[in-house]
Amino acid sequence: MSGIRGIVAAVGRTALQFAADLGGLAILFLRVLRTIPRLDIYELIRAAERFGWQSAPIIGLTAFFTGGIMVMQSLPYVEQLQAMRLLPWAASFATLREVGPVLIGLMFSGRVGSNNTAELGTMVVTEQVDALRLLAIDPYDLLIAPRFVAMVAMMVCLTIVGDAGAVIGAMVTARAMAGMEMFQFIQLMREQIHLADLASGLVKSGFFGAGIAVVSCYYGLATSGGAVGVGRAVNASVVASAVSIVVIDFAVTAVMGG
Amino acid sequence: MNAVIRRIARESRDFTALVIQAYVLLFRLRMRRAVVVRQAFELGNRSVVFIATTMSFIGLIMVLQSGYQAGRLIGDYSLLGPGYIQLLVREFAPTIGAMMLATRIGAGIAAELGSMTVTEQIDALRLCGAEPVEELVVPRLAACLVMVPALIILAGLFAEIAGMFAARLVFNVPFATFFELRLLTSGDVIVGAVKAMLFGAVIPLVSAFAGLSATRGSEGVGQATTRAVIHTSISIIFLDFAVNVLLYPVYAR
Repeated sequence: MSGIRGIVAAVGRTALQFAADLGGLAILFLRVLRTIPRLDIYELIRAAERFGWQSAPIIGLTAFFTGGIMVMQSLPYVEQLQAMRLLPWAASFATLREVGPVLIGLMFSGRVGSNNTAELGTMVVTEQVDALRLLAIDPYDLLIAPRFVAMVAMMVCLTIVGDAGAVIGAMVTARAMAGMEMFQFIQLMREQIHLADLASGLVKSGFFGAGIAVVSCYYGLATSGGAVGVGRAVNASVVASAVSIVVIDFAVTAVMGG
Repeated sequence: MNAVIRRIARESRDFTALVIQAYVLLFRLRMRRAVVVRQAFELGNRSVVFIATTMSFIGLIMVLQSGYQAGRLIGDYSLLGPGYIQLLVREFAPTIGAMMLATRIGAGIAAELGSMTVTEQIDALRLCGAEPVEELVVPRLAACLVMVPALIILAGLFAEIAGMFAARLVFNVPFATFFELRLLTSGDVIVGAVKAMLFGAVIPLVSAFAGLSATRGSEGVGQATTRAVIHTSISIIFLDFAVNVLLYPVYAR
């Protein structure tokens, strides 16, 4: 009897926690939207520099390899169909629209999102956020809204960097594995890939940036319990960010029809 | 510049030392079975729901995207199922599954070991004459070697089932095409298995290294977790690239 009761209680606790988190995320999102007009512009520039500029090399490198992977995965099909001309399309279509934004989103949540949670969490644990409130400074103006805007903008910029890296990686791999000249690769790609494909990926990554920002700020502000609590918050934040990325991706794909 | 090179050299040396030490201890079977089993249970238990959710959505998205293209370009959905299974086995289940596990398991290991490092529990272990690598890293490594491939298989299954339903509901493709294995070759399975096992060997070591090198203070744990996720993700993508290059003759026939 007590065993069953324990299970029911655990399920209920999990459900309540889930509902509380979801509600907290929604409230935070609405509050951010309301505070965006008042955000601190210097904080915005600082956050953009830190989030975007410092992640660019890692994103570019990862994307380079991703482009190469996609070429090697599509090469067998293209060879089977005797349609070498389709290689640039096969390699870069899915990368630009889907794989690129998702992988960059995962990397961005791992680097920027978790960093943000750790920073906010440390500020909460060391009572710096309370100190801000005491000085009549709204933490949303100074901390949350600038980070939100910076993350959305930088996620889009980093996807552009990533797209470039992926195309270069695909070109190099196609030259090495299939003997396709780089110039020819670019020319075929210009015929086969439309601006809409590129734009679809960029729109997606903007939404990912918003999701990562809301999730990482929420878990950062909800931190409690010292250094160990910061670690726990970061852990919860990256996991929830990954879930938010795939859920947003599905919603955007379903609405835009690819 | 010099300082950066020196730091990278020092970190690669320390990491290599950790890898060698962990594997030597692992092959000497210097670990307690009960600890390994508990670790494996915790890793699996913690990740199952997460993997199920994320990979189901990934499956939905992948089938939607490829279905729209197949409908537009060929107008024929008969290859959607078999092709999806093939790509899932040799590329997307191992790689995207491992990227997801890197955030879940990798961040978990780094946060655990990182908090132990900053609260000086690791030093306390050393004081008691216990070897931290043997006590903490080897059980996690052994557990991951088993659990990561298992979770990746599970990830593939969830993506497959979700994709099957998406194809049925959106494009009216019969369920049966998602059980057709005619495109799948043994080469695909070998490549997928190699990737899954390799990722299982890499995730725990990279994230344990990040956790053990956490610096003092509450910022240290957060930074260690961040580093763990980023470094495991990069290693996964790079290893995936390397396996694709080396085993290209195996899966391309």
